[in-house]
Amino acid sequence: MNQTIVSYLSKYEFYKTLLDLFGGNESLLAFVIYLIAALVVILVCATIGGFGTYAERKISADLQARMGPNRVGPYGLLQVLADGIKMITKEDIMPFAADKFLFYLAPLLALVGVFATLAVVPWSSGFALTDLNVGVFYLIAISSLVGLGIFLGGYASNSKWSMLGGMRGASQIISYEIPVTLSVLAIVLMAGGMSFGTIVGQQKGLPFNWYLFHNPFTFIGFFVYFTGALAETNRAPFDLPEAESELVSGYHTEYTGMRFGFFALAEYIEIFVVCGVAAALFLGGSNLPININIDILPLQFVEIIIFITKTLLLYYVVIWIRWTLPRLRVDQLMSICWKYLTPIAIFNLVGCAIWMVAFNGRSLADLIIGH
Amino acid sequence: MTPASFDGLMPIVILMAIAVALFLGGHFLSVYLSPKKPSHLKSTPYECGEEPVGTAWSMFNIRFYVVGLIFIIFDVESVLMFPVAAIFKEMNEMGEGGYVLIVFLSFVSILLEGIAYCWKKGDLDWVKSYQISANKGKK
Amino acid sequence: MFVQILFGLSALLTISCVIGVVATRNIMHSCVFLLGTLLGVAGLYATLGADFVAVTQIMVYVGGVVILMLFAVMLTGGKDFVSKAQNLLGLAPTMGNKWTYSLAGLVALVFVLTNVKLLSNIITDAGPKTFGNEMPSTVSQLGHLLVKDHVLAFELSSVLLLGALVGAAIIARPKKKQ
Repeated sequence: MNQTIVSYLSKYEFYKTLLDLFGGNESLLAFVIYLIAALVVILVCATIGGFGTYAERKISADLQARMGPNRVGPYGLLQVLADGIKMITKEDIMPFAADKFLFYLAPLLALVGVFATLAVVPWSSGFALTDLNVGVFYLIAISSLVGLGIFLGGYASNSKWSMLGGMRGASQIISYEIPVTLSVLAIVLMAGGMSFGTIVGQQKGLPFNWYLFHNPFTFIGFFVYFTGALAETNRAPFDLPEAESELVSGYHTEYTGMRFGFFALAEYIEIFVVCGVAAALFLGGSNLPININIDILPLQFVEIIIFITKTLLLYYVVIWIRWTLPRLRVDQLMSICWKYLTPIAIFNLVGCAIWMVAFNGRSLADLIIGH
Repeated sequence: MTPASFDGLMPIVILMAIAVALFLGGHFLSVYLSPKKPSHLKSTPYECGEEPVGTAWSMFNIRFYVVGLIFIIFDVESVLMFPVAAIFKEMNEMGEGGYVLIVFLSFVSILLEGIAYCWKKGDLDWVKSYQISANKGKK
Repeated sequence: MFVQILFGLSALLTISCVIGVVATRNIMHSCVFLLGTLLGVAGLYATLGADFVAVTQIMVYVGGVVILMLFAVMLTGGKDFVSKAQNLLGLAPTMGNKWTYSLAGLVALVFVLTNVKLLSNIITDAGPKTFGNEMPSTVSQLGHLLVKDHVLAFELSSVLLLGALVGAAIIARPKKKQ
């Protein structure tokens, strides 16, 4: 049973009054609800993305024993607004030998790739925008558009730094897609479905039911997924494509103003989505700690808050890792992916499959406590 | 009356359309608000202050392509495994878990041989830096 | 109603990108238009209710094959290749000529319309099925078929993939300098 936001809201009284307002046209009402919900989701994610830049500067300052931005607004909170206005008003320069069409297209591809992933993120059990049957598979597939955007951005700039950054970025993103897909496969195996509703629904109740603690294989799988996802979003220590000290600014060297803003926005929203997926797959995202079977609207908002809290905790860990670990060399990067993460992920997959058959799908806690 | 089923795909199209609209909106906003003073120096590609020499589009290392090929094979493999993984739990509860396990394991093991072959033949090694290979020769 | 809109958008994307693939002179642009075509085809699969196939199309083709093609073009220096119209027997060049495209397009259109007219008695109008509140899902059906009826094909496909991997690795391996 796929729960979209429209089908969830159709259980309430005000849906019927709205339906009469639209003259009984279900599809039109669905379109309007989806449009409003999509705008809200984008607004929330863009705000989180924007405050992600602020949070990064503040947290990195904290880790480096200095103050971050604290001039603009109270505690420097309006720094995001200042940065945004600055980016819009910068001149839009294009290198004269650049490939015009691809130069324009690259940030658009990255933006479309990231926004399309927002459609399946499970904010709560009723408020997922849409709950595709192939939800998690779709998310992995469409986030590879971002890698294409990075590659084309690096290529189109006709600059050696950008070209190198783009090639390395594309090969890094496609390589790390394999361990990510394989660890997600292990969770799909255990949940019995690819839709987020199924996967999150299996983790109801106390934290012992989370897939993180289900068996040792998924425990390792969480770290494989998290490492692979860090590399997918070009985030340190895997940020070779945009390495500051090495490639000037990698694939977005030649991008100025709003175009660079789109790349940065796409990157920060992608980090949020990836952390959200990790929370949903492994940390039982949006499930209440106790098993209440009542279904009222305020409970959904509590679930949304729980989901966002877990995601922001992982976001903090991502920022923390960036400012703690040194950057990897490109051959270390590739060897980590193919020689360490992929064999570990395959081992996890096989282990999960054997565990499912041997213990009939019961978790470790279940075995210890329940018999 | 229940809503028709394909409406569930609406958010995807709506989000993509919003992304395109945001891109175009940001583009036109910056066209109006940004200064336009093109100069020769600004449009040359950045090369740390030097004059750029040669074109950037030169031939690159073949390792990128080998990694891409290996990636495609494993991509297709994981795509083929997804339906089997999705019904694994269901079949397990019906008592046929062992059979599906054997099917699954034989599929995975054949591809494990593939990665072992690539590892042994050195396809997974990236280009090492000159110093490391020089030091190895010295020992 | 939305299915028609989705079909229209996907068909528009596919056809315009297909024209872009053949009409542009820059091979990198061709690859990017191919990306658009494959995305449009994925949308067409989605209108038929084949959700798994649509996402497979995006994952394998868009996320893999197009990137591989772009890598191949970069590595072989093909992006500097600009197609030139060829000259046969001193006549007007027939390759890449506007008239060739228009004539071929007209012939293709007549062919397709004739076929549609011939087959119109056989093909019934089976619109997309609605499944109540659920979205059509093909994943569990595919899974059951792969494990029960077509298990030999499933296993042999893994051997085929192994063969492809070994072959590709041998061909693409950089030659050792003696």
